[in-house]
Amino acid sequence: QALRQISQRTISTASRRQLENRVSENQKLFQEDNGLPVHLKGGVKDALLYRTTAGLTVCGTICALYYLLVSSLPKKPN
Amino acid sequence: MAHQAHSYHMVDPSPWPIFGAAAALLTTSGLTMWFHYNAPYLLIMGLLSTALVMFQWWRDIVRESTFQGHHTPTVQKGLRYGMVLFITSEAFFFLGFFWAFFHSSLAPTPELGGQWPPVGIKPLNPMDVPLLNTAILLASGVTVTWAHHSIMEANRKQAIQALTLTVLLGFYFTALQAMEYYEAPFSIADSVYGSTFFVATGFHGLHVIIGSTFLFVCLLRLIKYHFTPKHHFGFEAAAWYWHFVDVVWLFLYMTIYWWGS
Repeated sequence: QALRQISQRTISTASRRQLENRVSENQKLFQEDNGLPVHLKGGVKDALLYRTTAGLTVCGTICALYYLLVSSLPKKPN
Repeated sequence: MAHQAHSYHMVDPSPWPIFGAAAALLTTSGLTMWFHYNAPYLLIMGLLSTALVMFQWWRDIVRESTFQGHHTPTVQKGLRYGMVLFITSEAFFFLGFFWAFFHSSLAPTPELGGQWPPVGIKPLNPMDVPLLNTAILLASGVTVTWAHHSIMEANRKQAIQALTLTVLLGFYFTALQAMEYYEAPFSIADSVYGSTFFVATGFHGLHVIIGSTFLFVCLLRLIKYHFTPKHHFGFEAAAWYWHFVDVVWLFLYMTIYWWGS
């Protein structure tokens, strides 16, 4: 009896919003007719993540190609 | 605004495929730089960019399906075919390592002392932790099926309980296996026994970690109400993958652990 009461405790309103069904809100956000592609449609966070990933991969690719070039050149003995 | 007159999904242009390819380049060349020149920076960039691409690509798929409704029955059929083909390719991957094991163990060379396990190798007792790991994975197969039925019957509380239990069992397996690796009396360098043992069980362990992660993501989506009783393919794909991982372990256990001891 007591166990049932404890497991049916109410959660405060702030954290309650975290556990509610927000699918319809998200459906509205991602179906907005704003011309944004899906990978940027979520807002500022999307753009930040995208730019971080782009920066990392582009810089990294340049680095990788540089090291590949350097390691494929013969070493000149003196 | 024009609407499509077909049931397929024409995706928005996306940067993830090419970034993913670049991440693979960074990871592989990074491995080379680390092995040969002791420089881990390229590898770290590679692993980081791979993780970022994976997160964003799959996030976008959740958006396209759950939030934009693009996963029609036609699209879902294609995804099912895709997952089946992928798991089949993984089965062939493991087949190679089993082949290697039998190649070396069925006709042990004189260098090994003409016997299997080779002279000087003390194999792990299959009735010890490996048996417990077998029980854990079999139990997790049951709990994931329980979760599936709960989802189909719209029983939210039980679905969450069952899937949580499945994920925990997966983590328990990984923890036990890590301890076994640490405590093992032989290493990967100990003749072809060590090589076949650690490469086969090692790749399996990696797949357990991947499977557990997939299931954990499904758990988060389940809690956020993404799945419906009729449409929950992401979960089904995770469950298929998990059963595959379980079956591979059963083969590993019977051949390498039990027959091979």
